[in-house]
Amino acid sequence: MISCTEFIAAYSELFKYLDQRGGKEAVLDFWNYLSDHFLGNLHDLVVANGIRGCWLYWSHTLNEEAADFTMELDEDAGEFSITMHHCPSKGRLLAWTHLEPYADYCRHCDVLYRRVLEPLGYEYLYDQSQVAEARCKLVIRRKEQRADEHGRDMA
Amino acid sequence: MKQIMLRTAADNPYLHKDFHAALSTALIYLEERYGADAVRAYLRQFATAFYGPLKQDILQRGLPALQEHFARIYQIEGGDVTFELTDDALTIHVAACPAVMHMRQHDRPVAPLFYETTRTVNEAICEGTPFRAELLAYDDRTGRSTVRFSRRSP
Repeated sequence: MISCTEFIAAYSELFKYLDQRGGKEAVLDFWNYLSDHFLGNLHDLVVANGIRGCWLYWSHTLNEEAADFTMELDEDAGEFSITMHHCPSKGRLLAWTHLEPYADYCRHCDVLYRRVLEPLGYEYLYDQSQVAEARCKLVIRRKEQRADEHGRDMA
Repeated sequence: MKQIMLRTAADNPYLHKDFHAALSTALIYLEERYGADAVRAYLRQFATAFYGPLKQDILQRGLPALQEHFARIYQIEGGDVTFELTDDALTIHVAACPAVMHMRQHDRPVAPLFYETTRTVNEAICEGTPFRAELLAYDDRTGRSTVRFSRRSP
């Protein structure tokens, strides 16, 4: 058995294996597949609870992953955000000195969740500028809410 | 309503068992797109890269290094496991695989080749060492298994 505590290494090595076989398109194809076949729980939570579904989903996963984060929910504004101070996944990949992480490892977070949330009417903003230090920022906004706010600003 | 949650890494243990289901989904994908040999090739490549330090430990200390590795893994995962260690062999009996049981309990699909995360990975760990790995028994429903590591014949 590969322990779930070793999964991140297996994940990164899978991206490398797919890249060797079919380039970045093969990796992207897998991310799309994983989003469609593995993130049904995120989809269902957001359909049932709106933007609060994001809070419910990531409250579970980020705590189990022992992440170092600040998570904010503003239901009236239709906005949810995660400020990842130290990502447990990227942090592990950087700490395992005998393993070279997949170069575009963090992009899976952009692809997988965006694919679930945008069709449900949410804007997905992901700042990867500091992933080399295991930090990132994610903002999810309800699209129609943003349009309403824009309308008020214009009035 | 506004809510905020702040956590540090020290606030929680690192144990996200849904990762087992993510790996299982990945193996299903690999088999569907590239075939069963790709599943084994990927797992071999992963194990060779990731378990390099364990392999070095096996070369230095032999079978106790393997026993300690698996004892630690199953303690983290909450698995019921027993070990039989002699000078030339280590047999591991797993009553039920924590990964398989987690997926069954949460209605997640278990990859038909999920047993390769035991068989192929263990074989890869042993490559280049005086030992070989054998998966003697495996139950797909529960992941109950018997694995033997033994000294290769000269």
